[in-house]
This record gives sequence, structure tokens and C-alpha cells, in this order.
Amino acid sequence: MVSCLGDLDSTYEALLAGRGGVSELRYGAPDKLNVHYAYGIDEPDGEDGLRLAGRWLARCVAGALRDAGVDPARRRVAVIVGTGLRELRAVEQWHGDGAPMRAARLHFDEAVRSVAPDVTEVHTIANACAASGYALGLAADLLELGEADAVVAAGCDAMTESMLAIIGRVTEHPSDAVRPFDADRRGVLLGEGAVAVVLERPGDISRPPLGVLRGVGLKCDAFHETAPDRAGIVATIREAHERAGVDSGQVDLVLAHGTSTALNDPTEAAALLEVFGPDGPPVTAIKGAVGHTSGGAALMSLLVALEAIRTGQVPPVVGLSTPIPEAAELRLVHGGPLASRPRVAQINAFGFGGVNAVAIVEAGDAQ
Amino acid sequence: MTTAPERTAPAAGSASGVLAITGFGVLSGAGIGPEPLASAVARPAQPADVSGMFEEPLPRDDAYALVDFRVRDHLGRKGTSFFDRSTSLGLVACQAALADTDLRVDDGNRARIGIALGTTAGSAKSTSDYSRDTFTQERPYLVNPLLFPNAVMNCAAGQAGIWFDLKGPNATVAGGPLAMLNVLRYSRNLINCGYGDALLAGAVEEFSPHSAWALHYAQADDGGTVPCGEGAAVFVIESAEAVRAAGRRPDAEVLATEVGVFEPPGSGTSFTDGLALCLRRALERSGVSASDVTTVVGAANGMTRLDEAEAAAVRAVLGDDVPRLRVKEATGEAFSASGAFQLAALLARHRAEPARDGELSVIVSRSRDGAAGAAVVRGWSRADGDDG
Repeated sequence: MVSCLGDLDSTYEALLAGRGGVSELRYGAPDKLNVHYAYGIDEPDGEDGLRLAGRWLARCVAGALRDAGVDPARRRVAVIVGTGLRELRAVEQWHGDGAPMRAARLHFDEAVRSVAPDVTEVHTIANACAASGYALGLAADLLELGEADAVVAAGCDAMTESMLAIIGRVTEHPSDAVRPFDADRRGVLLGEGAVAVVLERPGDISRPPLGVLRGVGLKCDAFHETAPDRAGIVATIREAHERAGVDSGQVDLVLAHGTSTALNDPTEAAALLEVFGPDGPPVTAIKGAVGHTSGGAALMSLLVALEAIRTGQVPPVVGLSTPIPEAAELRLVHGGPLASRPRVAQINAFGFGGVNAVAIVEAGDAQ
Repeated sequence: MTTAPERTAPAAGSASGVLAITGFGVLSGAGIGPEPLASAVARPAQPADVSGMFEEPLPRDDAYALVDFRVRDHLGRKGTSFFDRSTSLGLVACQAALADTDLRVDDGNRARIGIALGTTAGSAKSTSDYSRDTFTQERPYLVNPLLFPNAVMNCAAGQAGIWFDLKGPNATVAGGPLAMLNVLRYSRNLINCGYGDALLAGAVEEFSPHSAWALHYAQADDGGTVPCGEGAAVFVIESAEAVRAAGRRPDAEVLATEVGVFEPPGSGTSFTDGLALCLRRALERSGVSASDVTTVVGAANGMTRLDEAEAAAVRAVLGDDVPRLRVKEATGEAFSASGAFQLAALLARHRAEPARDGELSVIVSRSRDGAAGAAVVRGWSRADGDDG
């Protein structure tokens, strides 16, 4: 995983310490954009003058395959990449600065094959902020149907000037930090980065896995293009529970989507209360620390959930001090880490277009 | 990470994995609906004059475009004024597909019906038109998706979900010329893993100066003079076993879809070998032999490097004399929609020619960067039954 806070270890460490990676916006014209802060990765553009999400993706895919000990030359390995904007940043640089961008790079086949030339197939799913949740669901399906021996589920996005311009236009007061579920939140800020996990069938591995994917619920609100819908979110959560074979009482931790926007947070809080009731599991969210990473968001939350399961430390919602009234009955973790021993975690990801993905994971020693 | 030892998914749709198509809708440069497409593939018509469509300069004045297409003529005025062209074309094709199928959508099954649409880049034009009405929104909360490039990329599928109130999985699959085959692959997974019972699956592409110039530059490199095309085709896809168990008759069955990525065509034989491998795998998976195939629906568009590699692969697997259905002569080069038009043209011909009932065909696609794939399809007319 690559975020503005570094790799998974340093990101998790910063989360536990309540530290976010927000910094002054480094490109574009902040005054014109009406956006002054972002959760950007402090890394120069490539020698070709391009800022490619695919480079972070390649790093993550290579690292995930290495850590899992999976060799695409010896087994059938497929790769599913979830993304919001694909390489739109590089297209902007091509358009604005004449950098050498090729259309074939818009999907991530080339980026993945640069580090794993032997993979059998690479698919790019452009499903907004739920994309890597959808990629994970598809990865599990490919295994279940016997179409691959291992599947890499991944997500990536680099922030773009056009998206910055938009978030600058839709807030009355520019935000200086993401504060999920906080009464004083002023909207979302962009993050960026990439993430990859390797998924295998339980009989095919010789050591304990990082975690067990119990199931993924995929649904569509069919309500509004940008506004979330409580009923649609509730239906997706219930679908995830059903597919995972758990009831709501067995979920010990929720990684919320938590975008810090006017609409998402109260809607998501209401949906969680509807499913879990007022005595539900602890709820945390990572966007206050890493910003909105779009395509990577779902799987980054998932890796943090697995770390919390492994270490018994649930990180707080960075940026949250006064919960909104709608979330008063949620057990939001804030102020400091919560020592607890979750076994089963739920990861929420909701995207524009009303596309929802909810994943249920369990401790790796569960088998 | 691993999957769970015993996934307690709902009963999988079908062990065989065969997909049934129970209806479809198509809008192409040949016109609206299956009949004009079938006629145009038999006898290609001239492309339309598009010189008045845009203010920006175009590389040429003709394209297989739906020059007079207005979304309000099909869906009414209410709620359609902000739709970009891709979304409009996609929605009208979805509406036509729903009207064409005997699958009835109601409150009992709408949560089990999803949407999967293929695209190249969403609506390239919309991404550059986003700034205007930010200033007219009183409170910037329910911002129109036109303003969001990332929403735009999956805008057509999302809006179709809203318009037809379909709450199953909703996905946008990027893949350029291979998008339709990728969508079929994706559909097979969703249905066989129990995420949904039916899907509106298809691909959409709008004509714009952007796509016209993209084709112009590609032809400068690889040859070909086919004009640009546009449109959408959407298919109602269900599990073949479930359809037959309910006593219904499909319009077609997709027996197999195989895709892969190889060296770009033209550099050695790797690409041709790869496409041939996809073809063989698809036939094997379908349980049919090469001699059973009566038609090849190809992607030829005059780009020599690609056409020759495709033809060599087809020749290697199916021999020299299998009749061809040449779709792009009738629809132009419509990028991701081209794959959907290949399938739509095949089904349109089946519907028009009952003598072909039960025939087996192969669809092949390829891209300039080395992606290739094939699908095996068996089709029928509706001559002695009423499916719609």
C-alpha cells in the first residue's frame, strides 16, 4: 500500500498516533481552485513528466505478490484494478504540458505487466470510490469459479486538477482537513495512492493468511448520482452479511466510508444504526488521515482493519473531536486508539453513481 | 488473504456458466433497433453528414452517427436535460432491451437485476463541459454528475440504475475495443456467483470531435478509412439454465468468452497465436468443434496490422471458408460499442432469418495494444414462439 503517510506500517502507525497526512496543495493554482490542502504523496513526477497512479500500483502489486510468495510464472494469476479516474492526471499533463501520455495507459494492463509480465489477465474497473471493493468481489468470484489460482485485487488513483477544481467549487468554505463524522467538517479533500492484496483459496496456502475474506456485498442505490441513499447502503450491508454467513451481532469492527461530506456522514451513520442498533461495534474511518483515495479507498480500509485485528488496536478517526448528532449513538473511536480484539470486520465503500461495496473479513487464524 | 473455506453464497445460478440473452436493444449509425442494423450489415449504407454537429473542427465530415438523436424523444423531457450523450444512448438502449425481453421487472426482483456497461472513457466531452452550472446551484450539495469526471466515467451505468430502478450490482468496465467481451466475462461471474439473477449488459460510445480525431490518428498509423461510429447495444443476460427451467426461450446463448493480452499485433506471431488460443479455449469450453461454426463476426476495420493478425488466427483455428459478418462496414468504428454491435448484428440477423435457428457463431475482437478475445454464441429467431 502507498498513501500520503507511506506504506501500510507507517500509515497504521500514524493512524494510531492520530496523525494525518494533510499538507499544502503542491500543484495547480490553489487560489483559483479554492483548494489549499490535500493528502498528496510527496514524490516528484516521473522522468517522463507524468504523475502516474500506475507506478504506485505496480509497486504495490509487486510487493503483494512477493509477500504472498505467489509467482505468476508458475500459477494462473489474474489482476483486478479498481479506480476512479484511471490516469486522468497524466492526461491533464499531456494536455497542459505536452508530456508524453499514451491512451493505452488509461487502463492498467501495462503498469501491472511492467512488474508481473506473466499474469493471465488484467481488468480495470472504473467504479468511482467503491472501485477496489468491486475489484475484491470480482477477485473472490474468479477464485470461486476456478478461473485463477490467485487473484490480485488492487486499487489506485492520483489526484487530478479537474477533481480539485470540483471540490473547490462545491464547498462554501474551503476545507483544511478531512474530519469524518465531525460536527465541524467542511467536506472532503483528495488523497491518492495505491493498494494491492493477493487472494488465494484456503487449501492452496501453507502459512496463516493475513485474513479471510468472508464475503462482499455489491449493490446499487438506483437513487441519485452523487447523494448516498440510506436504504441502498443498508441493503448492501445486509447482502454482505448474508454472503459472509454472519449476522450483525458477529461484526466486531466497522471501517466506515466516512468522507466528511455534508451528505455521506449522516446517511452512513443512520444506515449503520439501522443495521447494528445503538449498541453496535466500534466504528472507525481512515480518510481523516489519508484523504479520499478514491480507487484505493476500500482496500486501504481493509488492510487497516486486518492490522487492527492482528494487533488488537483499533485506530481512532483522525480529525474527529465532536461527533455529529446523527452519529451520537455510534461507537465512534476517537481521541485515541481502542484496545479491543475484533475477529470480524466490515469495510464500507460507496461511490458516485450509487455503487456500494461492503466487504466482511475475518482474522487470518480463523480457519 | 484467502477466501472463506465454505462460502455461503446464495445458490449459484448455473453450473455450466452458459449465459442466455433474452432480449436486446441497439442504437447504431445504421438506425434504431435490430431491423435497420440487420439490413445495413447485409447492404451497408452511406455514413451521415456530421458537419453540423459540433463547433469544433472534425477530421472529416461523415460518420455513422445518430445525427438526429435526442434523448427526450425516447425518455421524455423530465430528468433528461443534464444527460450527456453517452448516458442518453446507454439509457435508451437499456429501455429498448427491457421492452424486448420477456423478463418482467417488478419490486420482487429489482434488487437482483444489475447493470454492466463497457466504455472507453465515459463521455470525453462531458469532462470538459463541467464548469457551467456550478454557479447556478443554490447550495452545492446535490451537484449534478456532469461536474464530476469520475462520476462521468460510470455515469451511464449509474443513471441507468436510477432511471429503471435496478438495484443489483452496477459496474462500468473499461476496455476499449474489448469492453463488450470483458462485460460478458464479468456478467458470467456476477450471475454464476449469485450476485444477481439478470443483468443489463452492453457497451456505449458517443461520437464527438475527440473520438473522431482519435480514430483519425489511429488510421494515420495503421491504415483504414472506416468512418467513426457511435451508439449503444444492451443485452438482457440471465442464466441459461434458469431461463430454460422457467420454460422460456432465449434469443441466444453465450457458451463461452475468453480474453487475453499478448504482444501488440504486427510484432511476430505472438498476437495471432494468442487470439488463436482464445478461440480454441472458447470452443473447448463450449464443447463444440471448429467445424460446427457457421459464421465469424470479426472486428476488421481496414487497419492492416490488426486485420491480418485477426484473419490469421481465425484461419488457424477455423480454416479458410467460414462466412464472415462484417459489422463495421455498417456501423463505422465505434470503439467499445463496436463489440456490442458485433453481438447485436448477429442477433438481429438471427431474428430476421429463422432458417438460421440454432447456428453457432464466433465473435472475435482485438485492440491495437494486444488485447484479444473471442465469444461463442448460439442464436435463434422468435419465429415459432412469442418471447417479447
